[in-house]
Amino acid sequence: MKAHHELMPLVYDELRRIAARYMGRERPGQTLQATGLVNEAFVRMAVERTREFQNRTHFLAIAALSMRQILVQRARAKRASKRDAGGHQVTLNDISAPPSAIRPEFERPDPDRPGDVDVLALDEALSRLAAFDPEAAQVVELRYFGGLTVEETAEAVGVSPATVKRQWTMARAWLKQALEAEPRQP
Amino acid sequence: MTPQRWNQIKALFNGALEQPIETRAAWLQRESGGDATLLADAERLLRSFDTLGGFLDQPAQVAPEDVSQATLPGGEGEGAGWRAGDRIGEFEIVRTIGRGGMGVVYLATDRRLHRNVALKSLPASLAGNPELRERLKREARAAATITDPAVATVYSLEEVEGHLLLASEYLDGRTLRAVIDDGPIGVPAARQIALHVARGLRAAHDAGVIHRDLKPENIVVGPGGTAKIVDFGIAWLQHPTGAPQTKLTHEGAMIGTPAYMAPEQLIGGTPDARTDLFAFGVILAEMLSGRHPLVAPAPDSAAARDALARQLQAVADHARHPDPTQRFGSALELLAALEGLPEAAGTTVAGPPVSDDGTARFWWEFHQGAAAVSYAVLIWPVWLARAQIGGLEGRGFFIATTIAALMASMLRLHLWFMSRQHAAELAWARRRSAPFIRAADIMLVVSLVIGAGLVAAQSVLDVVLLGLAVGVAITFAFIEPSTARAAGLE
Repeated sequence: MKAHHELMPLVYDELRRIAARYMGRERPGQTLQATGLVNEAFVRMAVERTREFQNRTHFLAIAALSMRQILVQRARAKRASKRDAGGHQVTLNDISAPPSAIRPEFERPDPDRPGDVDVLALDEALSRLAAFDPEAAQVVELRYFGGLTVEETAEAVGVSPATVKRQWTMARAWLKQALEAEPRQP
Repeated sequence: MTPQRWNQIKALFNGALEQPIETRAAWLQRESGGDATLLADAERLLRSFDTLGGFLDQPAQVAPEDVSQATLPGGEGEGAGWRAGDRIGEFEIVRTIGRGGMGVVYLATDRRLHRNVALKSLPASLAGNPELRERLKREARAAATITDPAVATVYSLEEVEGHLLLASEYLDGRTLRAVIDDGPIGVPAARQIALHVARGLRAAHDAGVIHRDLKPENIVVGPGGTAKIVDFGIAWLQHPTGAPQTKLTHEGAMIGTPAYMAPEQLIGGTPDARTDLFAFGVILAEMLSGRHPLVAPAPDSAAARDALARQLQAVADHARHPDPTQRFGSALELLAALEGLPEAAGTTVAGPPVSDDGTARFWWEFHQGAAAVSYAVLIWPVWLARAQIGGLEGRGFFIATTIAALMASMLRLHLWFMSRQHAAELAWARRRSAPFIRAADIMLVVSLVIGAGLVAAQSVLDVVLLGLAVGVAITFAFIEPSTARAAGLE
């Protein structure tokens, strides 16, 4: 996976193109599952640029990393704009968004609500996890940000599905506890 | 936390999950061996596990508008966010054309001259490096002096509101990468593209500009099969400080530009004109086989049977010799080698044949022309035979034979014309007309034989008609295939 930095622009391009198409179709604020976006990007890129990627999982791994970066980048931008506005502004975008997206940035997320995850805190915790268990961190990146199945993740990481399941379970337990233990910095 | 510590916790955690819930606490107590922190860590993790609920169960949700606005961390220039209608100095953005390691490329309108330009926003990091900026100015100035139809013209290098912008000719077409990926290019088309690229290289090298990053992505093929090289003078920006990263991943897949880099460039040597020739050789080989030569070293058998393909392959191999001194001495030499090949549109056919294959092509053309004329002339004896046969049969015979003869004649004239004027499309024309020529020839032979049978026995015309039928059959079955094969068309 050494060539990530060279392939990343291709993946970004494709993701951006697909997202731009969705924007025309869906109402503002509508969200998509990362899985759908990533898979669509793969299908489109497989036709045009097969040679660049070693295989499907190689692509999915890069796409998962891209999605993680995109979400973090966006969350940072939102937090910055809210801070500028005094931290209490709820934008129009937020109002028309589904419940998971309405949560204002200054409110603690409720970890029991599925999909309601503070991306910045998760990203930060994931980086800490990667320091002592890089493989488990990658499993989370692939499963959560890339939407890969257990089997696809196993192929991408190069371990058995049973191992992925164990790593996934334990990484989630650790991440949940890490997110709860350290309230986000305002 | 250390990985060792984590592994201990992991073992406890996974072990505990296999225990029945009632005995779990006791099991943990025993297995933790009196290490209180270890026990506490494992218990905390297990509690967290018990309350996991749907945590991270659903993949991340993302808003399309967030993705469509995403920029590569650190990889893109500052102009990445411009939208249609934005004005940067005198340029008005029309749309984004592409993104690369060097920045974003837009289609923009230059409002001073009312022309479309490809506007490249160069990395902001350049602004802080006077040495690189100086070099960029120098190279862009040199690139702007290249005036050749096969090179995208550089218009200007401008600094607007802190952005470094390079405006150049906007090209409507597809990159050679897309063309190659679409499937076989065909030998004549590959030859035509190669000719254009070689001309572009020659013009650039004459102007003292080396590309350094020639690759299919940097060649744009226009609607008429014309090819233009883009990014002259700025390709070095991608690796301004020296050798690029290696192109081979650990599994050996070819990635990005290094696939077109000469050995001396890969090991960090100074690229010169011969480096571009190497890249040219790789690209030509890839066009011929449809695959990068390191992936598919031998041309496929169909291409190998084609004399022109073999010669082009030889040019490619010569150009991409690992030793720079063994390559063509210059782009001019390379261009001469390419132009010396037969089937040059309008160059070799007019003069004396320059090679064995040129002679063969001449005979093939001669044959097409001669056959076309004979078939047209053949209508005269057929007319005479019609009078002899008389009646409805005579009319039918005359009409059928004339139609077949004219069809066979005109299609051959068409091929002759294509060979002289549009050599690049000859193969395509031959493929398309082959079934019609075959049908016309067979119809001609059959109607001539029938006519010979109908003509009154005392006339010599039956012999003439039979002779013509045999002649047409021999032409069609033997002579034509051999001349075509000799000319490298089969």
